[in-house]
Amino acid sequence: MAERMQLCNISDNNFEQCTKCSICTTVCPVAAVTTDYPGPKQAGPDGERYRLKDHAYYDKALKLCLNCKRCEVACPSGVNIADIIQHARMKAGEGQRASLRDTMLANTDLLGMVANLVAPVANATLGLAPTKLVMDSVMAIDKHRTFPAYSRTKFTTWFKRHAAKEQDAYPNHVSYFHGCYVNYNFPKLGQDLVKLMNAVGYGVHLLDKEQCCGVALIANGLYKQAKRQARTNADSIRKSVKDDHLTVLTTSSSCTFNLRDEYPSLLGVDTSDVRDGIMIATRFIYNLVDEEKIKLIFKQDFKKRMAYHTACHMQRMGWQLYSIELLRRIPGLDLQVLEQECCGISGTYGFKKENYERSQAIGSILFKHIEDAKVEAVITDCETCKWQIEMSTGLPVENPISVLADALDVEATRRANGLQI
Amino acid sequence: MRTDTVIIGGGLSGLTCGIALAKRGQRVTIVASGQSTLLFNGGSMELLGNIDGIAVTTPLEAIGTLPQSHPYSKIGADKIAGLADEAKQLLADAGIDMEGNASANHWRITPMGVAKPAWLTLKENLRIDDLDKLPAKRVALMCIRGYFDQPNGMLAQGLRELGFDVKAIEFTTDDITSLRRSPSEMRATTLAKRLISNSALQRIADQINNLSDDAELVLLPSVFGQTDATDFQTLQSMVKKPLRFVATLPPSVAGGRIQALLRHYFKMLGGNYLMGDSAVSGQFDGDKLLGVTTAKLGDMPLKANNFVLASGSFISRGLVANYERVFEPVFDLDVDADGEREQWTRFGVLEPQAYSRYGVATDNDLRCMKDGKPIQNLRAIGSVLSGHDAVKMGDGTGVSMLTALAVTKGIISGK
Repeated sequence: MAERMQLCNISDNNFEQCTKCSICTTVCPVAAVTTDYPGPKQAGPDGERYRLKDHAYYDKALKLCLNCKRCEVACPSGVNIADIIQHARMKAGEGQRASLRDTMLANTDLLGMVANLVAPVANATLGLAPTKLVMDSVMAIDKHRTFPAYSRTKFTTWFKRHAAKEQDAYPNHVSYFHGCYVNYNFPKLGQDLVKLMNAVGYGVHLLDKEQCCGVALIANGLYKQAKRQARTNADSIRKSVKDDHLTVLTTSSSCTFNLRDEYPSLLGVDTSDVRDGIMIATRFIYNLVDEEKIKLIFKQDFKKRMAYHTACHMQRMGWQLYSIELLRRIPGLDLQVLEQECCGISGTYGFKKENYERSQAIGSILFKHIEDAKVEAVITDCETCKWQIEMSTGLPVENPISVLADALDVEATRRANGLQI
Repeated sequence: MRTDTVIIGGGLSGLTCGIALAKRGQRVTIVASGQSTLLFNGGSMELLGNIDGIAVTTPLEAIGTLPQSHPYSKIGADKIAGLADEAKQLLADAGIDMEGNASANHWRITPMGVAKPAWLTLKENLRIDDLDKLPAKRVALMCIRGYFDQPNGMLAQGLRELGFDVKAIEFTTDDITSLRRSPSEMRATTLAKRLISNSALQRIADQINNLSDDAELVLLPSVFGQTDATDFQTLQSMVKKPLRFVATLPPSVAGGRIQALLRHYFKMLGGNYLMGDSAVSGQFDGDKLLGVTTAKLGDMPLKANNFVLASGSFISRGLVANYERVFEPVFDLDVDADGEREQWTRFGVLEPQAYSRYGVATDNDLRCMKDGKPIQNLRAIGSVLSGHDAVKMGDGTGVSMLTALAVTKGIISGK
């Protein structure tokens, strides 16, 4: 009897395990600032009981969910509450067309490609008051937001011109899924990773074919396109991990979470066979340091006081430990680890005019903690957290990889790892 | 990843142990599979409340009469007073101000209006030292309109049976009325996040001052102060009569605050707190545990010299029952539990239940037993231990904190 009953009782998202304890409601950043959202318990497992009977019970307020996953992290029973909500949204969105605004926000790579070609013009234009007003009124992209600046040279272009050739000479090798942000907006992060990995004896290689991971497509309801891109990425990653035996490193927590967990759970693109081969770079590096396979030597004169913000998806993966512990190894870094709070941007959510105020209200707790920490900069593994914190606190925000690369004594590290300088 | 000690479980016992070890210079990692049952705690700690259904007034004396299988007996009844003082100090150091002492229980009031023996209670909560000498006679029980986690009728009735002259008074303010737009979120923890501005508190105080006429004491549900007690102090300065909070049904603001403050303190001491991860298996070398694999860290196990199991009872999945047996799911340790399923429960939910006393088997140093032999560097603390009964004996929080402090000493001394 035992076996039979439990077999009948298992869903993909652990829906049946909800004990109605309500603990998820205590951590939802959206319900904390608005009465328009029914909260994760009601929107998730409670509402699902009705929706299973008839999807007409779908509540439009579910769009307010950030998909930050804090409810899933808090749940003592392992219920994937946000997945339940995302699935309900996907089902409700079937056959509907996304708006021009949402399509534009979602296609981070398309937008990036165009903007790269005209970077100086795009940066100037997107930052101009009249453009912002038009975007605010016509496109409903909030006028307070500034698009992250576009780089004149893509990361991949830089890599091919300046780095690709010498990579084969290193004794060990990894692949790098750079993501849209590194490619179009901030190639420096990718360059920092190459610098760091090279210094410890690892050559860095790009995937055969990389497309936007699709996290913004999913959030904006463009599921078919997300699925197509997911398949392309899954194939490239599979080739790297299975055929070439190269681990795929990343520098963005949301891309990583999407590749590893949301491809199978939301898009039905199975990446379970290569899941262990995709990881945030700090995890890979930490493990090498921990097992004493590599050495990191830091500059004597590096002195900074910085705060680490755990991005929501980083916490969902449970990997903040690696970034924090690596950063703690920098002798000159006075690291303040902030309490985990949501910054409120959640990718493209906070760019939308209708969400702006809510987004800032959600982030206000974190901004206060940052102010109290009295630091010169903030560190986080997520690029959209970076935009939000930079806009809202005025402090610069860096990826852990950039901080490590900045603090690294490259020559001494290369020497310590047995490389010719 | 290697630290000095790895603790499985991030609730009251795990955090107490983690803090005590970190204070002595250890590097500690806590693995917490979600928020803990502290969110069900109304703001009191219990050492020992009842024996065989009779309320205990002097817990230190009563602890001496417990059987050897009880965790307090394993620690040693003579050590309890010292550990209890240490626990109270640890809470104070974390910013949790509680009153009470181990030599004499006071009474806390449950959300249902029942008086139960307690050891420590938050300063702002209603606490009765002597049921024959109530702190006030005429009481205004202020009830927030639309807030459903407080059964006002039962609470008022319970207080009357204790001898209070209770007037239950429903009230609202514009802020509270606007929150009712989301009825499913009219919870203590939501109210505590929204009713924080001085003006919102002033509007509540105005209502209380207008409506509480001849009361000597004003009682208000504990829906304020999720980060500290300043909201209480602000309210008290605005309300003209003495004010006390009464515990609500969970999720509890007071319990959430205790958890957040302990966690914050642990992190300040340099501890790693892995929220939302869970231990799945261990690697053993004979009678020694080498490492613990977690769901999220995958192929990079947590290694340490010492390990502590603080994973809680059935509700936290520190213990699991299927149709055949009761077991400990991470290491499959020996458990003290009845073999036959019929013996686990008794009809009637309020009857003493055998399963409440189930838990992992330990030796007298709280080392976990596996296949009849103790694991040298794996100790168990808190609700996962066998031989006590948080519901019927009122010893849950005390066992959590005191066993945590006791094993800390064992780990530090290397015994």
